[in-house]
Amino acid sequence: MLRIQNVLLNPGLNCGFDHDFLPGGMTVVLGRNQAGKTNLCRLIAGLSTQAVGELSLNNAPLNKLSPQKRSVAVVFQAFVNYPNWSVQQNIASPMVAAGKDKAYIQSRVAELAAKLGLGELLQRMPNELSGGQQQRLAIARALAKEAQVLLLDEPLVNLDYKLREALALELRSLLDDSDTTVIYTTTDPKDAFTLGDDLLLLEGGNKLQAGAPLSVYQTPKTFAAANLMSDPGINTFTWSSLSDQAFAQQCQTASGVSKRGGVRPEHLFFVAKSEFNAEECVGFDLQVSALETSGDETFVHGVVQASNLGFSDPRFSDLGFSDTGLSDSGLRDQPSWVVRSPGMLNFSQGQVLLVAVQKRDILAFGGQ
Amino acid sequence: MANIVLDQLGFAYPGALEPTLLPLSVEIKDGEAFALLGASGAGKTTLLNLLSGLLVPTTGRILFDGVDVSSQSGSQRNLAQVFQFPVLYESLTIADNLAFPLRARKAVNGFSAADIASRVAKIAGELEIENLLKRKPKTLSLFQKQLVAIGRALMRPDVSVVLLDEPLTAVEPRTKWQLRQSLKRLQEELGVTMIYVTHDQTEALTFADRVAVMADGKILQTASPQEVYEHPAHEFVGFFIGSPGMNFVAIDSATPAPMYAASGVDQSAQRIGFRPEWARLEHPPMTHPLSAVHWLGRVTHCQILGTQDGAPVGITTLASEVGELKVRGAINATVGEEIMVVVDRCVSFCAEHYVATHYAQSSTVQLTNPVGDE
Amino acid sequence: MAINKPYNNRAWLGVLPVLLIVAFSAVIPLMTVVNYSVQDILDFNSRFYVGLDWYRETLQDPRFIEAFGRQVLFSLSVLAIEIPLGILVARGLPKSGAWTSVLLILLAVPLLIPWNVVGTIWQIYARSDIGLLGVGLNELGLAFNYTSNPTHAWLTLIAMDVWHWTSLVALLSFAGLTSVPPAYYQAAELDGASKWQVFRYVEMPRLGGVLVIAVLLRLMDSFMIYTEPFVLTGGGPGNATTFLSQYLATMAVGQFDLGPAAAFSVIYFLFILLFCWIFYNSVMTDETVEDAVENTANNNEARHHD
Repeated sequence: MLRIQNVLLNPGLNCGFDHDFLPGGMTVVLGRNQAGKTNLCRLIAGLSTQAVGELSLNNAPLNKLSPQKRSVAVVFQAFVNYPNWSVQQNIASPMVAAGKDKAYIQSRVAELAAKLGLGELLQRMPNELSGGQQQRLAIARALAKEAQVLLLDEPLVNLDYKLREALALELRSLLDDSDTTVIYTTTDPKDAFTLGDDLLLLEGGNKLQAGAPLSVYQTPKTFAAANLMSDPGINTFTWSSLSDQAFAQQCQTASGVSKRGGVRPEHLFFVAKSEFNAEECVGFDLQVSALETSGDETFVHGVVQASNLGFSDPRFSDLGFSDTGLSDSGLRDQPSWVVRSPGMLNFSQGQVLLVAVQKRDILAFGGQ
Repeated sequence: MANIVLDQLGFAYPGALEPTLLPLSVEIKDGEAFALLGASGAGKTTLLNLLSGLLVPTTGRILFDGVDVSSQSGSQRNLAQVFQFPVLYESLTIADNLAFPLRARKAVNGFSAADIASRVAKIAGELEIENLLKRKPKTLSLFQKQLVAIGRALMRPDVSVVLLDEPLTAVEPRTKWQLRQSLKRLQEELGVTMIYVTHDQTEALTFADRVAVMADGKILQTASPQEVYEHPAHEFVGFFIGSPGMNFVAIDSATPAPMYAASGVDQSAQRIGFRPEWARLEHPPMTHPLSAVHWLGRVTHCQILGTQDGAPVGITTLASEVGELKVRGAINATVGEEIMVVVDRCVSFCAEHYVATHYAQSSTVQLTNPVGDE
Repeated sequence: MAINKPYNNRAWLGVLPVLLIVAFSAVIPLMTVVNYSVQDILDFNSRFYVGLDWYRETLQDPRFIEAFGRQVLFSLSVLAIEIPLGILVARGLPKSGAWTSVLLILLAVPLLIPWNVVGTIWQIYARSDIGLLGVGLNELGLAFNYTSNPTHAWLTLIAMDVWHWTSLVALLSFAGLTSVPPAYYQAAELDGASKWQVFRYVEMPRLGGVLVIAVLLRLMDSFMIYTEPFVLTGGGPGNATTFLSQYLATMAVGQFDLGPAAAFSVIYFLFILLFCWIFYNSVMTDETVEDAVENTANNNEARHHD
């Protein structure tokens, strides 16, 4: 089992964190750009990095070992392959370096190439392959090392959107039945669900939360943890702005010192006035300002209106989107909420709609 | 702002065995937000380069407002382009960067310094980057630089068309939607003809009034985002749009199952396709076996995307007699369980081309806004 | 990619041989020279400590000042010609294709010729009796003779240096220019920029870093120049082309006046160091930030979807 202790991902931090990676399973490390995901990968692999920490694999310390000696294989974001060797030689390279015998190498190369769809391309050079194929080659080469730990640092981010989908699923099925501890870093929360058995959230070099994806999703410990798992970010409000103060008090006492609550965009739904259940839901009027659709889903952006159903004072989002560091981005800074709804919806700008959220879906953040 | 007509436009690299672009014709209206969507290698970059004057067409013509510009250079066509990464003049301030296109053509367009300054102020105001005007590019974030690049492309009031080549590539995922919003808003307010090239369906469907889906050097369908989503003209369109795309099932045309006929699928159809969100899972046995197309499947994988009403929702993958199927919605089955896939809506294809849309007879799926038509 | 190697003091032993060699060939001789520069050496056994006397004398020596003046004039002249000419040549080279390699090799040839051979080539080439250039100019009516006419000697020297070293600037600039992604040219063209504007706003910023290296190298080298002018003109006619290095050599080797020669050497060394330091500091701070931005831009282009 891979264990990391007292890890400081950035030099400016004061206290390090510990984590035990799920043995034989896939851990997704989720964080924004500059969160420290790449530093973490490089630390585990033994490459030069600002991160420091103690590593141990199956109780044997890893720190003093050079990368060659560690049982760690890495797949990088940029497609990294030996440019002057053919696909076959590339896949064989870790085994040749380990001094395995020829027959074994040949059969393994054939097996891996078949698994990754490179069977017909064995004699080609990497620069003749498409992006997806090059990354598959990098993955095959990493698998050939037969390491105990496999690190994938945002491997699909440079690929086409559809290719990314396909390859992610292939990866999942490839790695499902192996004993390798797999660590997959990403900025996309969808990957956490698709690929992860276990989830580690990072922000600014700190560990926010870890656990099974669904439980982290349902019970985030902090605002940042909740925000990372929603795309786009969480809609927030202050408890004092809720019309139903009894409910607000309930939530606040239950969560401790929290002043803010949040709702995930996917938990908001449109409802007709007649069907609105005030017992179970909090509702409010939303004035539509923009629509974004990708066919199967629509993101409705709008401004929350005051009402005695939901929010008595909607100028509450003192957070707005400034947490993402975009306050100087030059875009309008309105208390804007996002509703993520399935299907292809068509509202006009300025239209006012009734939006509801189930009370049990409202998140309260402890201590923030 | 110009109306653009591509008339039987084709292109092949000299010495290449196959053409990169097969002769295609499409009209882009003046002031339209138009998207070119396709995977790598589909030919969309080639098409963009033909439009920008970087490449000369092998066959066919390009017309801007009825004038044949096929042999004119990019600057003669009076267009602007936004690239994948922000292309700015590093040694100039942001204000000078924005003013550059106007100053460069001073002799031609006769803008005075005051005109230029007011235009810079206007565009900077639209993009809300007034506080960045005195700074140099190297002090800005990538997002801000791309905003400036877009601003620069919009400077000329008479620009014929703005070409955008995957402009959100370099931008962080969390800020992509903001840039998308800005672009859409600008396009509407300024009424500029924009052609947006991308491989990301969300960008295309969000931005465009009309989308052209390309594959293998051909345009497969040019229609509104809604049309392209609901009535794909070609199997590839159904596959490419949607995450995941359509499921395809071959129909045994010799002995089609009666459930197809009940849904209105006719003899000529060879395959039917349905989107994961157009199907649902029901525990067998089915109450009305003939009212909808359905199959029995065994769950192989559940991908959770979130929760609704406290229950997990996501994409369920099943292995069935007709192949692998994906269903999107409430996950009410576990891996290994046998369950019915019931299709409420599907599309039939013949020779990969669209034939018709079919609805299940007793379907209660709401196809319009759940709140009703307001 | 560097590797986090464990810290091990034995590594210092690996550096020892290099340290010894550099010590013998550079550090110790330099220290010896500094040592001599503060002594009056009459012969091997009689030396007297004279403090900074030699320094004072050298700095007030009119011939030193003249040679210094000539040196500065020479360096500035060749820099003024080589840098723009090098950039022009680099711009004229095709960025890719078969001709590129051929032309790059041709450009590199003058840089490979031993310096005294360069001097000899030009010495014969410019001769007014048997040299192609000399005879040619005389045929055209100009009474060209670099051995008797100081101006002609200067012009020949400058021409020789330009011929010798412009290629360096050209090659460095070419490397800088090829790093400009085509999108920048395309964007400038669509903006309606003129050729001059493209050069000034697209190419020059990129060339900045490269030019710093080029100017630094040429400044140092031209200030130290010895072999070529010595072979070409021998410092003549008279001492019209006697630059600092030659004057120093005459003093040290010819007259065997080690004390003043050593002081001269130290002064020479310090001047070059000073020029480079001023130049480096005034330009480098902006460059490093610019380079960092360039690298980011290059990284983002590398995120290609193919």
